Amino acid sequence: MERTVSVVPEAGLHARPASKLVQTANRFDADVSIGRADDGDEGLVRADSMLSVSGLNVGHGESVRVVAEGAEAAGALDAVCDLLTSAVEEDGGDPT
Amino acid sequence: MRTLTGVGSTPLSGVGTARWYRPEAGLTLPDRPDPSAVDAVAELARFADARDAAREAIRDARDRAAERVGEEEAAVFEAHEQFLDDPELVDDIKAAIEDGTPAEHAVHDRFAAAIDQFEALDGQMAERADDLRDVRDRLLRALLNIGTDAEADDGAALADLGDLPAGTVLLAERLTPSDTAELDPDAVAGIATVAGGRTAHAAIIARSLSIPAVVGVGEPLREVEEGADLLVDGTDGRVVVDPDAESRAAAATDAAPPVTERVATADGRPIEVAANVGSEAEIAPAAERGADGIGLFRTEFLFYDREAPPSEEEQYEAVTAALSAFPEDRVVVRTLDIGGDKQVSYLDLPDESNPFLGRRGIRLSLDEHRDLFETQLRALLRAAASEGGEGLAVMFPLVSRLEEVDAAAEAVESVAAELAAEGVDHAVPELGAMVETPAAAFLADRLADRLDFLSVGTNDLTQYVMAADRENDGVAAYHDPLHPAVLRAIDRTASAAAGTDAWVGMCGEMAGDPALTELLVGLGLDELSMSAVTVPAVKNRVREIDSAAARDLAEEALACETRAKVRELLDG
Repeated sequence: MERTVSVVPEAGLHARPASKLVQTANRFDADVSIGRADDGDEGLVRADSMLSVSGLNVGHGESVRVVAEGAEAAGALDAVCDLLTSAVEEDGGDPT
Repeated sequence: MRTLTGVGSTPLSGVGTARWYRPEAGLTLPDRPDPSAVDAVAELARFADARDAAREAIRDARDRAAERVGEEEAAVFEAHEQFLDDPELVDDIKAAIEDGTPAEHAVHDRFAAAIDQFEALDGQMAERADDLRDVRDRLLRALLNIGTDAEADDGAALADLGDLPAGTVLLAERLTPSDTAELDPDAVAGIATVAGGRTAHAAIIARSLSIPAVVGVGEPLREVEEGADLLVDGTDGRVVVDPDAESRAAAATDAAPPVTERVATADGRPIEVAANVGSEAEIAPAAERGADGIGLFRTEFLFYDREAPPSEEEQYEAVTAALSAFPEDRVVVRTLDIGGDKQVSYLDLPDESNPFLGRRGIRLSLDEHRDLFETQLRALLRAAASEGGEGLAVMFPLVSRLEEVDAAAEAVESVAAELAAEGVDHAVPELGAMVETPAAAFLADRLADRLDFLSVGTNDLTQYVMAADRENDGVAAYHDPLHPAVLRAIDRTASAAAGTDAWVGMCGEMAGDPALTELLVGLGLDELSMSAVTVPAVKNRVREIDSAAARDLAEEALACETRAKVRELLDG
């Protein structure tokens, strides 16, 4: 099963959001892959790999396709898409 | 005695013994053996052991960083652990070992390819390449059995940055945020780096740890020998080799002991020097450094990392805690300033193409999140009636219209009426606005008529006046409050308030730079609010200033046509 969503976290798939995505993908008994929506099957990489996910260099607002297979595919797909579509709380760190 | 110059990053001084941090030294690989001579089973076991050792080191570093710096900064180590477990890396390395490559070469080769891949991508990814280097070096150190204290002593490599001997002045080409977060502020007397800037993440962490630091010293730093006597002067941006007794003594006093008393210029004009506070943990250090109260209490931290907004009671507790730390002083609480780059997941903020120009700050408080605003005002009005509550002031963020200030003041009145009807103790605090939009600067005279104070937020004001996204490195040159247009906006604000009863302060990064204090005093600011660590340096600077000379300086600066001219004037 698969779904296409646009990336909400301001940082895109870098730093915290990438890290959380990899954690989430690892939690399920499912093979999850992710890629730019426009890049087709060729562009899909393993979502349980920090190297691959951050290597996609996906920015905020880009459209990504998530594909999940396996026993917990539905749960994994929901969790991963939730993460991609909710803004991460991040302290701007700046006063003004 | 020899003096090297760089960029002062943490405005503190320290004296100690030079120790070079060369994370890559000693990581030279042995020659590659013939694949047939490699015992793949043994090499796989070595690789597994090295991963265990690296994992332990990463977790220790994470815990130390969480304790010393904060959870936010510690998160980088979670990413490191993910790289360590990355299936793409681990599987390829194992495959290479099975094909007859020794473990260290297999690690080296695979990471080199990954680092190249990241560095070929743009900006943000370069940082990730540094993370990959960190993880690679941990693995290689474990595989090559280096990084013990014995090696550290002859300067080959310091294995454990968290375990440096007291009185170390750490020298490095550059430090990563993770390196810096590991440092023990009690052991490290100072930091000096060849490369790097004042606003780099590592420099910010060093400031939050109060470690004296000078960055970007350049080539000459490389000639400093291991074990040399060094003075790091982060106020003036100097590194002194073999400092004499006089400069040591100066450094000791300059190590900015807290200045607890209030200060005035040499000719007696009082200037309030307050601290910006963004978490409960920052309140006590602000008081210890001698801040005259809190000039910016960011309430956002109460809203992060949770599933639902904080209750009125929780907010009341947080504000009264700040008030009781500063019983004699003012505490300026900014109402919730989310939106822009500051997101809170459970609030369901709209996805905007231009969030900095969208729903943020007071705009949300008066409209879609009015409920949160009213709860916050209830907590604040009750806190204003608590012990020490007369020092409370409430500030509204991102004001751009007078209607917003009027509506906010009406909200305060109606919350007061509600509390009165319920028979709950309350008081109406001082009310003010942040001046961080050009609109607010243009309207400063009218804002000052309506309000008790204005506070200039230079980071956003610079971004909006210069039309330059502060996150975009491509326009970093625009992001300097010394651009004449920004100085005029500040001047306009301060001058507009001068003829009224309203006081005017500043709570952006600019306020904490002692090199700019005279200019800001000359522009007519009554209050400066900054990171707690810079409070003593700015207080000491205020005492040296003659306010007539400061006014002349401000006038000359306002007459400059370019940022370069302003800088030249301030340097001369």
